[in-house]
Amino acid sequence: MSFEVFAGKFTGKNPDYVKMGSKYFLAGPLLVALSKQLGHSIVSLGLFLGEEKAGKFMPSLALLEILSVASEEKVFVNGIGEIDFLYNKGLKSRHIVAVKGSSKEGFMKLIQNEHDENLGYGKISRELGSDKAEIANLLDRGDFIRREKD
Amino acid sequence: MEPNTFTQRYLELGGKAPLFELPESIRVNTAKITAEELIERLWQKGVHLEKIPFVKNGFYVRQSRMSVSALQEHLQGFYYIHEAASQIPAEVLNPGKTDLVLDCCAAPGGKTTQMALNAKAVVALESQHNRVPALINNIERLGIKNIIVCNTDARMFEPEIKFDKILVDAPCSGNYITDTRWFRKQKLENFKQRSALQKEILANIVNCLSDEGELVYSTCSLEPEEDEMVIDWAIKSLGMKAVEISCLGDKGIISPFGEELDKGVENCRRLWPFKAKTQGFFIAKLVRA
Repeated sequence: MSFEVFAGKFTGKNPDYVKMGSKYFLAGPLLVALSKQLGHSIVSLGLFLGEEKAGKFMPSLALLEILSVASEEKVFVNGIGEIDFLYNKGLKSRHIVAVKGSSKEGFMKLIQNEHDENLGYGKISRELGSDKAEIANLLDRGDFIRREKD
Repeated sequence: MEPNTFTQRYLELGGKAPLFELPESIRVNTAKITAEELIERLWQKGVHLEKIPFVKNGFYVRQSRMSVSALQEHLQGFYYIHEAASQIPAEVLNPGKTDLVLDCCAAPGGKTTQMALNAKAVVALESQHNRVPALINNIERLGIKNIIVCNTDARMFEPEIKFDKILVDAPCSGNYITDTRWFRKQKLENFKQRSALQKEILANIVNCLSDEGELVYSTCSLEPEEDEMVIDWAIKSLGMKAVEISCLGDKGIISPFGEELDKGVENCRRLWPFKAKTQGFFIAKLVRA
């Protein structure tokens, strides 16, 4: 899945990006021009949006946050759901307070807390709307802590 | 070296070295939330903040049922866990919307992301490959869009452009407040080695400064070899001038251990932990003489 296909699953408007190797960044013309005058090993240019690994696009949490502003594919969770999700767990029906967009199995959803702040994203593993609803955790902001420990 | 050796050294410099627990502090990421909103959000979770009087967006954590690093608001990038004294250098450099900023020793990115809030753009250098991920993670978490990171040693940096503002938060030997084993680990030789590195960084980086530019040099060391003596060397060898700054701290020491330094060194600021209630810190602002 490419960057465009991934972003297109959540919103019709893709953020502009700059590609450096396998990595994608949100960077304005000023940063791009500046980068050409540095002449040194640039490892990050603006905001990191994600990376292609083995032909698959892996989004960053910053990208999910950007997409969540305009997306119609969101699931809102309660406080317990927020904590569980940030601990890298999946979501059950008891965590879900509202759904925007599709409820069908296999769809990817942005996971939002009650303040409409993005917590990450997941994939519907059991159709939403029933008491058996489930969403698998694909990436959550608790990853910021887990990365530091690696 | 023995703690007593340092006690003696610090007494000679007009200081002392009592131990105390450093209060935890944070800096609000105003790119994502206002201080008022954050205070209210955290209050609801039993976290009480108290304004740090000498920095703009800093708060002491006075009460918290859990680590502030584990809170959802931290993961959202609403704040950065940032020691109080360490928030001062970026405020002294004070970049504006038209300023191109160079941050020479950037990881983990506290000062980098602080400066980026007001700057046109920040170029962040980090020489240690294993420290780069923490820097990039913090930029991502805080959602800052105007930073370029280079995995480059500041001593080798030779860009085609000049910078309006430069921060050299130099690698240093640290201080006893943030490391309980610090006295046992340190030797006078370490300070001299660090001093040589700090001078090498400055010697190259002044070439990147625009004619009217400003450079802030800071360390979290209390040792004059890494602080006032480096600034004295920059004045005498690099054609720089230390300008007056107004921030927390005592004046720079101009006669450490009987050595006479340039009088301009007095314009620097030295934060003794026993007075400032922060970690040990040193800050100087340099311009071309």
